[in-house]
Amino acid sequence: MFKLNLFQSARSQALILLIPAFGVYTLFAIWPLIDVVILSFQEWNGISADRKWVGWENYNYIFNNDPVFWVSLKNTVIWTILSIVFPPLVGLLLAIGLNQKLFGRASLRAIYYLPVIIAPIAVATMWRWMYDPFFGLFTQILTDMGLGFLARDWLGDRNIALYSMFVAYVWQHVGFSMVLFLAGLQGVQSTLIDAARIDGASRFEIFRYVTLPALSPTITIVLVLSTISSLRAFDIVYGMTGGGPAQSTQMLAMWAFTQSMQIFDFGRGSAVSVVLLVITLAIVIPYMRWSQAREEAVK
Amino acid sequence: MANVEISAVRKSYGALEVVHGVDIDIKDGEFVILVGPSGCGKSTLLRMIAGLEEISDGAVSIGGRVVNNLTPKERNIAMVFQNYALYPQMTVAQNMGFSLEISGKSKAEISSKVNSTAEILGLTPLLERKPSQLSGGQRQRVAMGRAIVRDPAVFLFDEPLSNLDANLRVQMRAEIKALHQRLGTTIVYVTHDQIEAMTMADRIVVLRGGVVEQMGTPMDLYDSPANMFVAGFLGSPSMNFLKGRLAADGSPGLTLEDGSEVKLQHSPQGTSNQAIVLGIRPQDIAVDPVNGTPAVIKVMEPTGADTHVLVELAGQDLVAVLPPRLKTTVGETIPLSFASPNVHFFDAASEANIPCDPKSEHDQ
Repeated sequence: MFKLNLFQSARSQALILLIPAFGVYTLFAIWPLIDVVILSFQEWNGISADRKWVGWENYNYIFNNDPVFWVSLKNTVIWTILSIVFPPLVGLLLAIGLNQKLFGRASLRAIYYLPVIIAPIAVATMWRWMYDPFFGLFTQILTDMGLGFLARDWLGDRNIALYSMFVAYVWQHVGFSMVLFLAGLQGVQSTLIDAARIDGASRFEIFRYVTLPALSPTITIVLVLSTISSLRAFDIVYGMTGGGPAQSTQMLAMWAFTQSMQIFDFGRGSAVSVVLLVITLAIVIPYMRWSQAREEAVK
Repeated sequence: MANVEISAVRKSYGALEVVHGVDIDIKDGEFVILVGPSGCGKSTLLRMIAGLEEISDGAVSIGGRVVNNLTPKERNIAMVFQNYALYPQMTVAQNMGFSLEISGKSKAEISSKVNSTAEILGLTPLLERKPSQLSGGQRQRVAMGRAIVRDPAVFLFDEPLSNLDANLRVQMRAEIKALHQRLGTTIVYVTHDQIEAMTMADRIVVLRGGVVEQMGTPMDLYDSPANMFVAGFLGSPSMNFLKGRLAADGSPGLTLEDGSEVKLQHSPQGTSNQAIVLGIRPQDIAVDPVNGTPAVIKVMEPTGADTHVLVELAGQDLVAVLPPRLKTTVGETIPLSFASPNVHFFDAASEANIPCDPKSEHDQ
């Protein structure tokens, strides 16, 4: 009888369904988040029973005495800028292409989406092999084409390693933007396109004045998700270069992990994590607010 | 301004042909309405005139120039869509001026044209609003403004009133008609609503299954429908059809399937004992206690001005528009007379109208 009554009320039903998950999330997501912030003001080696309060010392250290932090911050910024430009742009172009009526487009959609469902660590391993300076696919192809002089140590050269890694990242992430843009394109009213054609708009003008404005909610989602995913880039770095050579591909997420899990300085690792969190929120929150306000103005 | 000539136009999607050789000659300044049920090819035909749909065969000319291979822009037409198709991110003024802007007109010229058009349509106070801030009727007016601003040779309307509520539809109907009288531009208008067709058109083209069933002025079509389809499509409530056999002795009368007799005022010559379908509009049925045929009342719908009565006669349902405040109820019988001069006779097999002049035959 008691159970029956509980389920009769929509609110109690919602509570019953949500409370267990809330407990789990508090324990494994919210509390760690808070603890990382606390830990960033402490010194701890991960084993000792004592966590010593050191105030701003960890931040002071990473900002003033840790050159790798600045390298990883710079790399993260470059990576993020590239990530919000290239995968969405290529994804949009593919989506526009695949939105046309052409033979086999369903198969092409599946093929272009395929990399998204591969585990990042597997992507990293695959591309590490392809980038191998002696046996790798790219060196092989260039040599076969008589362009052997263009071959490089793709991941071993500190000037290009970050960009080599980025190509693999684009390959994996393009499908994700593409699918979101495809969904957005299906939502573009065909009569609006007809109206623009009657108004005398060229293909480019139709894209500029009809398609693009209609895609703006999708663009917001794609950019926010791309930013978040690029800021937390970890597995691909871990799997391809481990941050090397000479820290040239080091990034904040990877550096936080290295500080904590390899150098066992959890305080500094946490401080790096908090910096990353602040950067993420500082970019994502204002952008979402701005685009929401803009969409409401249109609606 | 221009005439529009549609000659033997066909449209196929792969092996499926949906428009089967349509010929329509629309005069300069004429208001022509293409009407028909869903899937009759009326919108496809309009889109072919607009250049939004390729013409599979035949030719469309606008102002004497074949436009088959011209882009919509080059055809000098403007179109108003059912769902308005306004650019949501632009203001009313920007929507109206868009075509002028991309054709490179000066800001001063755009603004003067937009302002004068807004004046005609009563849109001046709304020029800085976005489409989302407008009601359905206002949006449709902006869509019309966008078309007028371009000063096209032909206006194309694709079911422009279908998304509006009933009252607004009546109001917009009058506005569009007034606009046509004012501008005098050729209009091709598509609708499935026969009232719109009857009230607005100079000439109606009735389409069914990609074929023109009949073309003519609204009253021509109403008074002399070519077949049962046109007869049933135009007029509200729809024309009644009563299956029966003409009297064997040639006298004006119809024997229904159950043997009951219906007296008529006239019948076509040389059709004695022929199986026909009698077409009679609900307004032409009258109560006649002397000569009427008894029919059983199934439903009564008082509209205020009159009463729509659904009756059953020899197993066939008919609607009669009778005077208000009838002193009878559902289940009772009512004597109905079909002896109107306006009845039509259709061949039972071909459904074609059997011509019959009420004055020259069997006058009673």
